[in-house]
Amino acid sequence: MTAITEDHTRRAMAKRDQWARNRTILLLLLPGAGYLLFFFGLPLLRTVVGSFTSLDGAFTFDLWVELFSEPVYIDGLFFSLWLAIAPTVVALVISVLLAALLQATFPGRRIFGALYRIPLVVPGIVAAFLVMVMLDRGGMLSRIAEPLGIDLPRMVRDEWGIGAILASTWKNIPFMTLIIGGAMSAINRDVLHAARTLGAGRLTVLLRIQLPLALPGISAAVLLTFISSLGSYAIPNLLGPAYPLPLSVHMYEQGFRRGNWPIVYAMGTLLSVAAIFVLLAYYSLIGRLTGSHARREARS
Amino acid sequence: MAGLSIRGLTKAFDQVRALDGVDLEVPDGQLVTLLGPSGCGKTTLLRSVAGITDPTEGGIWLGDRRIDGVPPERRNFGMVFQSYALFPHMSVFKNLAFGLEMRRLPRSEIRKRVAQALHLVDMEAMAGRLPRQLSGGQQQRVALARAIVIEPDVLLFDEPLSNLDAKLRDSLRDQLRALQRRLGVTSIYVTHDQVEAMALADEIVIMFSGEIVERGDPVSLYRRPIFRFTAEFLGRTNVIEARLDGDRCRLPWGDERSVENPGIDDPAGVAIRPEDIAISTANGSDPHGEIAERMFLGAGTNYVVDAGGVRVRVNVAGTQNDLIDIGTPVRLTPPKSLHLLRRGRHGSAEALA
Repeated sequence: MTAITEDHTRRAMAKRDQWARNRTILLLLLPGAGYLLFFFGLPLLRTVVGSFTSLDGAFTFDLWVELFSEPVYIDGLFFSLWLAIAPTVVALVISVLLAALLQATFPGRRIFGALYRIPLVVPGIVAAFLVMVMLDRGGMLSRIAEPLGIDLPRMVRDEWGIGAILASTWKNIPFMTLIIGGAMSAINRDVLHAARTLGAGRLTVLLRIQLPLALPGISAAVLLTFISSLGSYAIPNLLGPAYPLPLSVHMYEQGFRRGNWPIVYAMGTLLSVAAIFVLLAYYSLIGRLTGSHARREARS
Repeated sequence: MAGLSIRGLTKAFDQVRALDGVDLEVPDGQLVTLLGPSGCGKTTLLRSVAGITDPTEGGIWLGDRRIDGVPPERRNFGMVFQSYALFPHMSVFKNLAFGLEMRRLPRSEIRKRVAQALHLVDMEAMAGRLPRQLSGGQQQRVALARAIVIEPDVLLFDEPLSNLDAKLRDSLRDQLRALQRRLGVTSIYVTHDQVEAMALADEIVIMFSGEIVERGDPVSLYRRPIFRFTAEFLGRTNVIEARLDGDRCRLPWGDERSVENPGIDDPAGVAIRPEDIAISTANGSDPHGEIAERMFLGAGTNYVVDAGGVRVRVNVAGTQNDLIDIGTPVRLTPPKSLHLLRRGRHGSAEALA
């Protein structure tokens, strides 16, 4: 009998200890997690709730119905994604090559290493004006090309948003190069040398050794560039076509010009969800690439 | 297979010359160790042979084929690094297969040769592991297998055992030597460990400050070095300034000995290895000096003797001797004939030890 009661009390005490410990952990987490919840969680929640609330405060699906029935918004969503994905891909290819180049030593490397960072200190709107001055009809490039008999295609306010993509690309290359270069320089040089002595040329070393080992850095760079381009307003507003407009521009128009905040909340939610899906797709692609590698390995 | 010749190899960085006109022959199938203190240029020399570093002047030949200027991937040299340098994202199997894939061998052939190489280093069971799942010694065996699986013309070793603990180092060293002998691959082995150098080498090359000081087979280089630097870097030695008189010399504590090589230029003193001196308590006869320090090492005992104003190191091997206490008067018996060392440009290696 006594043994059983003792066992009971012991278990009860253990449970109490467990609770005390959990409480302590929660308290310790509060400054960090609480901050995140308060400054990120609440606004996000407010946005989602707002997208289901009409102007007079009633619950409604109207805003989502409007978003998915108006071609302006559907086209806007796809154009937003296009203006985020295209510069990410272009900047990624260039940045990987640049980062790999900067691993090597060559004359003038230091000057080059400083020059490529210039876009870091140029704000997006300035970059947009730079592209406009260069590429617009009657801009610098066309004035250079004209006497040579070359007729440049329309690149500013064109339907593909080429000017906007170029500006975002230009702006994001140094960010990506910095991050990817950092990841690459963390790779043990002897590993690269070993690959060379085993018969791999520079390109093979880049593709089979440097890229897989720098993958965490590459993913971080992709994420940052994608998200910043997705929400960019100044660049597509100045350089993009009149139709379609990306959601960021629609949000500004609807919010500040018309005071239609519920639809702004809905677009914000839609853009965030779309971003999450694109990034999930990215990670599953990467997982499949590295996973197929592992599977091949297992077979052989 | 062919031997390797290095002629007039120089590597100048902004200010320093890491290599200064080095000439070196590595005969076919032999293992040459480059031995020297850090910064002596041994690693730069090895990396130049690998093609990882471009020499400023001079040439490298494999047989009669000139290879400097050929990129590393087309030299067919295997290299083993101090940091192992395995591909961290690839399994052991994939690490070994990499070099064979570069050579576009068929899959079945790759599988066969990887299995053979893993068998050679006794790592077959680990084929599916990632490098981080292996111990340091296992990683280095995989790295060795990766270097030999491509059937290289030359094997290059850059201090491969320096990151391992002492016991493992000894056993891996012996395996490595046996493997190199069996495969008969021309090899260069860089180390700063003189025991490793002597155990492995057909020929030892002593380097200092971008130049070759001296070279020779381990036995003659240890027993009859030309320079003081060599004598002190390859094991320890007493360099004793003795008064020379024809082919005789008088040691500071009064004994006389004959000199093997009288009349050399610029003598630094006679060399007496600590293990070549016999020591006995004076027991009433005239003492040569007295014990100043004693270190019991298990396999032997090292003494420092104050004799005639110089400190003489004496190592007594064996475990059955009576230990001599500090302060005891002793007599020293060096070998009958002694070997004179040249001072050379390199000076003493004692400060570098």
